[in-house]
Amino acid sequence: MSVRQPLLASAFRRLALLAVGVLVWELVARSGMFSPIIVPSVTRIGYQFGLLAIRPESLLEAWYSVSRGLSGFALAAVLGIALGVLMGRSALAAACLGQLFSATYPIPKIAFFPIFIYLFGIGSLAKVLLIFLECLYPIVVTTQAGSRAVNRVLLWSAANMGASRARILWRVVVPAAAPFIFAGLRIALPIAMIVVIITEMISSADGLGYLVMYALASFKTDRMLAVVVAIALLGVVLDWLIVCLRDRLVFWERLDSYYVE
Amino acid sequence: MRGPQRSEAPRQSRGAPRYPYRLLPLWFFLVTLALWQIASRLDHPDFVLSPVEIASHFTQALRSGELLPHVGASLVRSLPGFVIGSLIGVALGLMAGIARSLDQLLSPVVFLTYPVPKIVFLPIVMLWVGIGDVSKTLIIALACFYPCFINAYYGARGTPTLMVWTGLNMGARRSQIFRKVVVPSALPLVFAGLRVSLALSFILLFSTEMINARSGLGFLIRQSESSLRFDLMYVAIVAVAMLGYASDQLLLLVRRHVLAWQEATSR
Repeated sequence: MSVRQPLLASAFRRLALLAVGVLVWELVARSGMFSPIIVPSVTRIGYQFGLLAIRPESLLEAWYSVSRGLSGFALAAVLGIALGVLMGRSALAAACLGQLFSATYPIPKIAFFPIFIYLFGIGSLAKVLLIFLECLYPIVVTTQAGSRAVNRVLLWSAANMGASRARILWRVVVPAAAPFIFAGLRIALPIAMIVVIITEMISSADGLGYLVMYALASFKTDRMLAVVVAIALLGVVLDWLIVCLRDRLVFWERLDSYYVE
Repeated sequence: MRGPQRSEAPRQSRGAPRYPYRLLPLWFFLVTLALWQIASRLDHPDFVLSPVEIASHFTQALRSGELLPHVGASLVRSLPGFVIGSLIGVALGLMAGIARSLDQLLSPVVFLTYPVPKIVFLPIVMLWVGIGDVSKTLIIALACFYPCFINAYYGARGTPTLMVWTGLNMGARRSQIFRKVVVPSALPLVFAGLRVSLALSFILLFSTEMINARSGLGFLIRQSESSLRFDLMYVAIVAVAMLGYASDQLLLLVRRHVLAWQEATSR
């Protein structure tokens, strides 16, 4: 977190904060000020979370959500990086697509979800395509910025040593833009999670978003909060995976200078 | 969203010839509409309307008063949420960027909870403050907080040390340095954060309204969809798109005024 201090101390600080938060919650829940439906105690949430984690059918629900989110995200990453590199290196592509992207960027794509349902059915396809569409924008924009900012000297030397255009793109532009690409991926992943959960809340009969709404409708608040904790953990873990992948692939750049949206 | 701009990106690196392509997107848009119109002559399912039909329904809905109350209801929810969330986010982010104690207190929490999709808190917030507008506004504020905080934080941290030293050397007080050095140098990133937050506020507005509401554009889309009134559904979607586009343009306009001194490098 870019605060220059021993890693252990910052980890300890985080744990302490978490513990204080949990303790306060438990005290409020135990104090009897609120009904247990409104503020269920941590122990009950933990019990429900344990049930959630060992039951195969709830793990299956989690798998539905993750697979939807990740397939939309992967589609967006593949196409987004390709389009971004193209737009960063070709003036024609930048002129055509760049304005198209910047004009449609502020339009909330989630509004098209009903049309998507009619077009692609109520199953996973409509959700995956919506996730793809929402994730595409940050990835394209950051990749374009990255591949435009490639050091010219590198390009010139590669060209000078006889590299073909395709080879330059693959061996020079993409690695040079990698920090930017990962910044975009890191913005897009939470968006993918948001859209999965929203679409499952709105129209679905499976997935974690559905589980939240179902638990709420049956007034099982402790179970609902357990699912919420599971979703939050999932988001943190996926983000952590992206950061790990980034640190392996882009080992020459420190992270905290590039965690900027 | 516009990546790290501090790197010395050569402006107009490819010497983009702007003039010839300037109207291309407009043509693209018009051609798409025309093709859509022509294609709608062919056999097509009920839920596909032609652009002309949508336009006529749109003016009809405007005149009959079916649309405007919903637009108003949506704005009443999203604007306070956006303003509250982004103000708190920018203020705390700037302060965490310059004060180490606040940084150590806030940043771990914010960065840890950043990847959590905030929409999952809607049911809990609904239980606590009721099913009305307050819960939606709170969720929107919560979601808008994060991009603003993170961008303001990095903006404040990225203030060139040399400028702070120069200010100190000329006898500026701490508050003056904050106002005249830190804030201006953080502004480009702050605006980037605001833009992300604005887009996010619309996403959350429509999803909270689709989940539970009795008014608003998200509700209108959902209700007209389930009652098979596709004309109204398209009208609402067009209204959503126009609202999102217009607010984004407004923000860019403000940014151009505020950051007139800075050659806007991003779009």
